[in-house]
Amino acid sequence: MIHTFLINLLNLSMDKIFLRFVSFFYPVLAKTGVDIIQLNEILRVKLTMDNRRPKAMFAARKNAMNNGQQSPWLINFFTILIGFFIGLVLFLTGMPYVGETYYFIIFMVLMALTLISDFTTVLIDTRDQFILLPRPVNDRTIAVSRILHISIYVLRLALLQGLPALVIVGFIDGILAVPVFFIQILEATFLSILMVNIIYLVLMKSVRPQRFKDIISYFQIGFSVLVFATYYLLPRLINVSVLGNINLLTHWWAYLLPPVWIAALNELLIHSSRSGVTTSLLAIMGLTLPVAGLWFVAKVLAPGFNRRLSVMATSEGNNNTSTQVKKAGKFNLIEKLSNLAAPDPVENAGFRITWKLAARTREFKMKVYPAFAYVPIYFLYFALNGKGQTISDRLEKLQNSHTYVFLIYLSTFIMSAILMNISMSEKYKSAWVYYALPIAEPGKILSGMYKAIVTLYFLPYCLVLSIGIVIVWGPQAINDLVLAFLVSLIYGILMALFMVKGLPFSKPVVAKQGGGKMITSLLILAFIGGIGFGHYFLMRWEMLIWIGIIPAFFINWLMFRYYKKQTWDNIELSQV
Amino acid sequence: MAEAPLIQIRNLSKSYGSKLVLKNLSLDIFPGQVIGYIGPNGAGKSTTVKILTGLIPDFEGDVIVDGISMATGALEIKKLIGYVPENAEIYDVLSPMEYLDFIGKLYGMEEDTLRDRTKKLLMAFGLAANADDRMDTFSKGMKQKVLLISGIIHNPKIIILDEPLSGLDANAVIMIKELIMRLSNEGKTIFYCSHMMDVVEKVSDRILLINKGEIIADGTFQSLKQDHSDTLERIFSKLTGRQDQANGADAVINAFD
Repeated sequence: MIHTFLINLLNLSMDKIFLRFVSFFYPVLAKTGVDIIQLNEILRVKLTMDNRRPKAMFAARKNAMNNGQQSPWLINFFTILIGFFIGLVLFLTGMPYVGETYYFIIFMVLMALTLISDFTTVLIDTRDQFILLPRPVNDRTIAVSRILHISIYVLRLALLQGLPALVIVGFIDGILAVPVFFIQILEATFLSILMVNIIYLVLMKSVRPQRFKDIISYFQIGFSVLVFATYYLLPRLINVSVLGNINLLTHWWAYLLPPVWIAALNELLIHSSRSGVTTSLLAIMGLTLPVAGLWFVAKVLAPGFNRRLSVMATSEGNNNTSTQVKKAGKFNLIEKLSNLAAPDPVENAGFRITWKLAARTREFKMKVYPAFAYVPIYFLYFALNGKGQTISDRLEKLQNSHTYVFLIYLSTFIMSAILMNISMSEKYKSAWVYYALPIAEPGKILSGMYKAIVTLYFLPYCLVLSIGIVIVWGPQAINDLVLAFLVSLIYGILMALFMVKGLPFSKPVVAKQGGGKMITSLLILAFIGGIGFGHYFLMRWEMLIWIGIIPAFFINWLMFRYYKKQTWDNIELSQV
Repeated sequence: MAEAPLIQIRNLSKSYGSKLVLKNLSLDIFPGQVIGYIGPNGAGKSTTVKILTGLIPDFEGDVIVDGISMATGALEIKKLIGYVPENAEIYDVLSPMEYLDFIGKLYGMEEDTLRDRTKKLLMAFGLAANADDRMDTFSKGMKQKVLLISGIIHNPKIIILDEPLSGLDANAVIMIKELIMRLSNEGKTIFYCSHMMDVVEKVSDRILLINKGEIIADGTFQSLKQDHSDTLERIFSKLTGRQDQANGADAVINAFD
């Protein structure tokens, strides 16, 4: 109790400091017609709400935490931790510019991605339209509150993320470099805002408002994949110590990178002995560009930006664009596919509802789609795990080995990601229909669901992988692929049987997993892993694999029949 | 009524693209009146309300509230109006106390009065025990009560209620109906939009029926009854051109054949 109290206190005080800081500008703002009291209130409430809102950046980690409720202080801590890891790059001081350039590249990319993924919901808060607009608040106050809100958010992020590096720079370049670095962080922050603004503007110009939110969520998915990939792969692919000795300025394109301009300031002021005219020019560019950029954003981009945002927020904006479901050829194809795969009406209903909700539910896509990218990343991570060889050596070794079967077995990761999320939804209450309708055999809905998952997600994914594998490893891989696919299906049914005890999208999103379930899931995983390794050792006998397909197919068929017979007793009902 | 009208609407038109939603609407509303504003879906009801509350700033015609023109003094007008929107938008990560504190301060209320009044109102609506709970756990009815409070917290002259009874239980409905009468006796002007004809019939002393962007009936329930039919429901269906309701039901039954 005391612990959480302290955390809250710390956060509150942090916001208070920012509000106090902003309040220095109040007299000036008041002269331009802003209502200071209202402004202060709006900012205070918006900051409180930010603290209570879960962040997308840690969405992947959210499942691990018990309730999905993240403490804001924990997020601050993670931000500082990430800042510390990026800060380590600064120790690459073999050549001028190098360390700081890398640091600011990562800093800016991370900043821009966080801004896009976490702040979009704040920018497009449609509730403002109904809560703020009917109150006697003038437009200027709302506009200024929005700008200040974004600035506070961004500066807080920048300071937390940059804090460790400020200290590190003090150790490397002496105490004088610290204030210089502070200015450099501000430069990087402003440039990131400029980048984000341009991205938003391009998106808003080119896509319809509804699509905009979807695209943002793809950004978020891309972001988590990127973080994952850099974490696992970068150290395998690049020898970090080599990076430190690259002379950046011998490459002409280096002059085009904004992080180089930012790093130039440190070169000019701290290492003036080794800097020349070019460095001073770059440093000046680094100082003027953010200011010019901010002016450009405020004068040229922002007005249209706000107008477009308000159009998006009001119903008028949505009126013109139809939300009618497209009847494109692709959908007809899947409809035919669903009739083919699930001819029974109840099963067909299960198939179609799974397919349609999965394709249209943003939260589901956010949780499951990254898994599609994780599989190849994991595979490369394990495959490239060798020491003292060049990458081409390792790749060659990879091609001569039979490890490709593991690519398919690893794909079961997708299967479990889908299955773990398929029964959960924020709108789980709509699932009352299952309970209200006279469904005698709910197993049919489940089997429809399973068929939909396999035909629409797992099979296409495995097909793509298989084509790639056959190209790299040759057609003798086909029998292995078929067997691995069938074994994966067995894994899927086992998971579905023991782990997923709910109808599609029918349970609230709480990751409340009992210890027993964890053990079951580990047992299933160990079982399939055992079969996978067995398969790997039997691979030299091609015929054996072909024969193995027959029992695998038969087991699948039997288990699926059993799965289809699930009754209401086997299904966990949730309060609707 | 000798008094000057509190709300004057003159030749109000509004179109979305090529679609004309309001066609030359003219209307006078006097202080203390409870207006029941009814009409079929898409008739222009919520557009009127949104213009009156300043949510839609661009329109043709004049809207004058308490002598102030909407075109020039929207801010002053907003101070006079309390609005309870239909779609229940609320910052639900806040608690009722926090939310109402926020709203009250936007109206420029003093902290002490505001806190005192918020507590009393939450108590009156039976939410005292939940005053400091986050609203994301609230039921629809509880959120609706908070919205209602946020619409009257600054003691406005005009109260605009858009489907205010949704999600409320029978006791709360009785209380709101009573409240509307009492507020009207206090001299408040109430603009009540709803699809629930029986409630409108009971609470309003003047009923406005809008259809396809035009007001097609205006009067007390008594006068409408004399001219048209005996219940508001029937009057509604007769005037909005759906006299073939029986045919509609026939068509439904026939669909099974």
